Amino acid sequence: MDITTFISQIENEIEELTPGSLKPETEFTSLKEWSSMHVLILIALIDTEYNVTITGADLQQCKSVNDLFNVVKSRV
Amino acid sequence: MTAFHLHNKTFLVTGASSGIGRQVAISICEMGGNVVITGRNEERLNETLSMLKSGENKSIQAELLDEQEVQRLVSALPLLDGIVNCAGTVSPYPIKFLSDKKIDEVFNINYKVQVVLTAQATRAKKLNKGASVVFLSSISALHPHRGGALYAGSKAAIEAFSKVVALEFFHLQIRSNCIAPAMVKTPMYDKAEAQGTKEQMDAHISKYPLGAGTPEDVANAAIFLLSDASKWITGTTITLDGGFLLGGL
Ligand SMILES: NC(=O)c1ccc[n+]([C@@H]2O[C@H](COP(=O)([O-])OP(=O)(O)OC[C@H]3O[C@@H](n4cnc5c(N)ncnc54)[C@H](OP(=O)(O)O)[C@@H]3O)[C@@H](O)[C@H]2O)c1
Repeated sequence: MDITTFISQIENEIEELTPGSLKPETEFTSLKEWSSMHVLILIALIDTEYNVTITGADLQQCKSVNDLFNVVKSRV
Repeated sequence: MTAFHLHNKTFLVTGASSGIGRQVAISICEMGGNVVITGRNEERLNETLSMLKSGENKSIQAELLDEQEVQRLVSALPLLDGIVNCAGTVSPYPIKFLSDKKIDEVFNINYKVQVVLTAQATRAKKLNKGASVVFLSSISALHPHRGGALYAGSKAAIEAFSKVVALEFFHLQIRSNCIAPAMVKTPMYDKAEAQGTKEQMDAHISKYPLGAGTPEDVANAAIFLLSDASKWITGTTITLDGGFLLGGL
């Protein structure tokens, strides 16, 4: 798995994001209108695409996109 | 003796290995009744059995998703004065990612199993005249949340089913009702919390004037619905929400 694909998958699922705006260092909470719905989408996306279970608490630990990428990568 | 007691009555409680089902079994015995408890996890089911202080009780481990196990359970049942259907699951998932598999995961245990169990128990004439059937719905049947398409749908479906049970068995004075709680402190609460964050859950609970529910709060409503004190109540749903749906907070 690679981070470019990971980022484009997230951008594809979260309609509020402008394609190309998400960077590895982007912090989720810094995103405009970040909400519990986006948490649900990230959890479902990672479950569907990578068969990896992420909890809300995991997501809280991950500040940036790169942090989350590393957690998912370590569990695939 | 008050109409609220459960003396000389026997009830089946599903989902008795955890949370609400466990407390319903304990409360039934405290009110003088007997229980047959069922659940999947044998160890936790036996733990519940050991918590029952009185009554002639029995535990039958069963995986209810397997129709043959439901048959085995039903044929081992004594004559019953009611069933409290507490087995269930929650699995928040946004609509975009739903699939056949996800639908089955939630609907099979929250709806299909309860239909099959009711069908088999009534056909095998395991329910005495005047029996009371209780299903665990949720406030989300009428007030859904994001990610709750399947959970809310399965609860709305079980509420409709309960009404049909009331209509098809009233000639035997068999009653059927639902309990629709808001968030109750059980392992399911912890599971729901883990899907989001503790802060989100706390923010949600802060909108409950009376705070989150306890398994005892739900069990007490079940006792009422099982007892003769509710003998004129059928086809309804009792909401238990600590005032949440008032929307005032
Ligand atoms: N807690 C809440 O906030 C809340 C709110 C509204 C409605 N409810 C409803 O209340 C009911 C009970 O919830 P709870 O909080 O007590 O949940 P829980 O603690 O998670 O317990 C669920 C029970 O269902 C049993 N179960 C699940 N799948 C099963 C299967 N395939 N075969 C047999 N048994 C199975 C479990 O057995 P094992 O553990 O042995 O696997 C467990 O005993 C559910 O219908 C739920 O939707 C709960």
